[in-house]
Amino acid sequence: MAETAAPRKSREGWRGRFLASPYLLLIPAAIALAGVSIYPLFYGVRASVTHYLYGRDFGFNGLTNYRNVWHDEFFRQAMVTTAKYVVCAVTIETLLGLGLALLVSREIRFGGPIRVGLILPMTIAPVVVGVMWRLLYDSGVGVTDPLFQLFGASPPDVLAHDTSAFISVVLVDVWEWTPLIFLILLAGLQSLPQEPLEAARVDGAGRVRLFLDHTLPMLRPVLFVAITLRVIDAIGTFDQIYVLTKGGPGTATRLISIYAYNTAFLFTQYGQAAAMLIALLAMVMLLMIVAVRMMRKSLR
Amino acid sequence: MPRVALYSSIAVILAISIFPFWWMVDTSFKQPVDIFGGVTFYPHHPTTSNYHRLFNTYHFASYLENSLIIVAVAVSVSLAIGTLAAYSLTRFNLRFGLNQSALVIALLVRMIPGILLVIPLYITLAKWGLLDTRLGLILIYSGLNTAFVIWMMQSFLAEIPRDIEEAAMVDGDSRLSALVRIVLPLAAPGLAATAIFSVIVTYNDFLIALSLTSTTNAQTVPVGVSTLIGKIQIEYGPMAAAGVIGALPIVIFALVVQRHFVRGLTLGAVK
Repeated sequence: MAETAAPRKSREGWRGRFLASPYLLLIPAAIALAGVSIYPLFYGVRASVTHYLYGRDFGFNGLTNYRNVWHDEFFRQAMVTTAKYVVCAVTIETLLGLGLALLVSREIRFGGPIRVGLILPMTIAPVVVGVMWRLLYDSGVGVTDPLFQLFGASPPDVLAHDTSAFISVVLVDVWEWTPLIFLILLAGLQSLPQEPLEAARVDGAGRVRLFLDHTLPMLRPVLFVAITLRVIDAIGTFDQIYVLTKGGPGTATRLISIYAYNTAFLFTQYGQAAAMLIALLAMVMLLMIVAVRMMRKSLR
Repeated sequence: MPRVALYSSIAVILAISIFPFWWMVDTSFKQPVDIFGGVTFYPHHPTTSNYHRLFNTYHFASYLENSLIIVAVAVSVSLAIGTLAAYSLTRFNLRFGLNQSALVIALLVRMIPGILLVIPLYITLAKWGLLDTRLGLILIYSGLNTAFVIWMMQSFLAEIPRDIEEAAMVDGDSRLSALVRIVLPLAAPGLAATAIFSVIVTYNDFLIALSLTSTTNAQTVPVGVSTLIGKIQIEYGPMAAAGVIGALPIVIFALVVQRHFVRGLTLGAVK
C-alpha cells in the first residue's frame, strides 16, 4: 500500500473533498425518496380536492370529494371489512408465529433447510400466492371441495359464498405472512439474554411460568415491532385479493385498497379515490402514533 | 416435548407451507382432462403443453424480459445512491439531527401503502408521457428501494470500524477511494443481503406495475400472471405454469443464498 501512496495523494484535492461532502452524498437519495413520497403525496392531496370527470381534470372543487367519501356507504363497508381482515389475520399470525418460533428456536437438525421451507411463502410474489390458492380453492380443479366431500360434507365452493370467501382470503394471508412474524420473533428469541431464564429455571420455574413471566415480557418490544409491521402491511393488502376474488362475492372481501383501486381505475374517479386514501393515511398515522405511545407506556 | 413430537409437528407445518407450491407445479404439468379429473398428487400424463402455450400464445417471454431489465436497473441504481447516503449517515455528524431523522424518513417512505402512491404516480407519469414504459417503473422502484437500502446499509456500515478506512486515508486514499477499496468489500455480505431483498420486493410488486402499465411494452411478470385470470374462462393450465415461472427465480434465489436471505429478511425489521 505504501508504494501506491504517492500517486493517490494527488487525487485528494478539492475535487475529492467536494465529491465526498457528506451532504452531497445524501442528495441523490433525497431526490429519489422525495420523488416517491413527498411529490406523490402532494399530488394526492391536490387530486383529492380536484374534480375529475371521465378522468379529466376539471379544476378545484374544495372538499366535495371528502364529503362524498364521508357519505359513501361502500367506503364505510370497505373500512369495516379491512378492519376485520387485519384483526383476524394478524391475530392468528401472531399466535402461530410465536408458537413456531418457540418450536424452532431450539437447536434442531436441518435447521437451515427447514427455515427456508417455512419462509418460502412470504418470499414469492403475492400474485403467485393468489394463483396457488385459486388452484386449491377452485370448485372445478381444486382440493378444498374434495376434502370436504371426504368428510361427508357437501362441496362448499368456498370462494362463492360471503363468509367462506372471507375466511378463505384470511387463511391465505395467514399462510403467506405467518413466516414474517416467525422470522422476527425467532431473531428476537435468539438474542434474548439467557441468564434470567437460567436463574428462573434453577429456582424451579416450570416451562409455562418461565414463558409467561420471563420470555414473553422480554420479547414484548420485538413482538410489538412484528405486529405493527404486519398491521400496516395488511391494511394495504391488494394483490392476493385481486387474483382470488376481486373483492367478491358481492362486497364480502372488498378491502379498502380494492375499493380505491376500482374507484380510480375502473370508474376514473381519481379525486374521490385520492380523498379516500388521504383519509386512510390519516387513520393509519393515528394508529401508529397510538401504538408508539402504548409501547412507550408499557416499556416504562 | 419429546423429539418425535417436535419433528413430526415441524413436518406437518412444512407440509402445509409447501403443499400449495406442489399443487401448482402438479397442475402445470397436467393435461386439461386431468386438471378437471379429480385430485391427483402428481401428473399421471405429464405434459409441457401448458408451458408451450404460455410462451407462444400468451407471450410470457416479454413479461420476463421486462421484469429482468426493470429489476436489474432499479436495484443497481438504488443500491448505489442508497449506499452513498448510508455511508454519509454513518460516518459524519450531520446538522439538523439528520443522522437519525433520515432513517425515520426512510422507514416511513417504505411503509406508505402502495395503493396510496399509485393514483398520484399515475397522474404524474401520464403528464410526463411515462405511462406504460419501463423507464417509468424503473424510476419509481429505484426511489422506493432507496428507502430500504439506506435503512439496511447503515446498519451494516455502522458495524465496520472507522479505523480501517482512516488508516487507508492516512496512506493516501481519498475518502471516495477508501469507500470503494476498503469499506465496500468489507460490507459485501450486507450489500448482498440488501440486494437480495430489493430484488425480491421489486420483482414481486404487482399493484404499481398493474396500475402504470397496460401493454407488453412494460408489463412485468406478476401483471402477466394476473392477465391469465381476467378472462371469462380461466385457463388453469397456463395459469399454473405462469405461477411456476413467476415463483421460480425467487425460490431458486432463496435456496442458493439461504444464509444472506434470512439475514436480509430479518434485518429489515430487527436490527
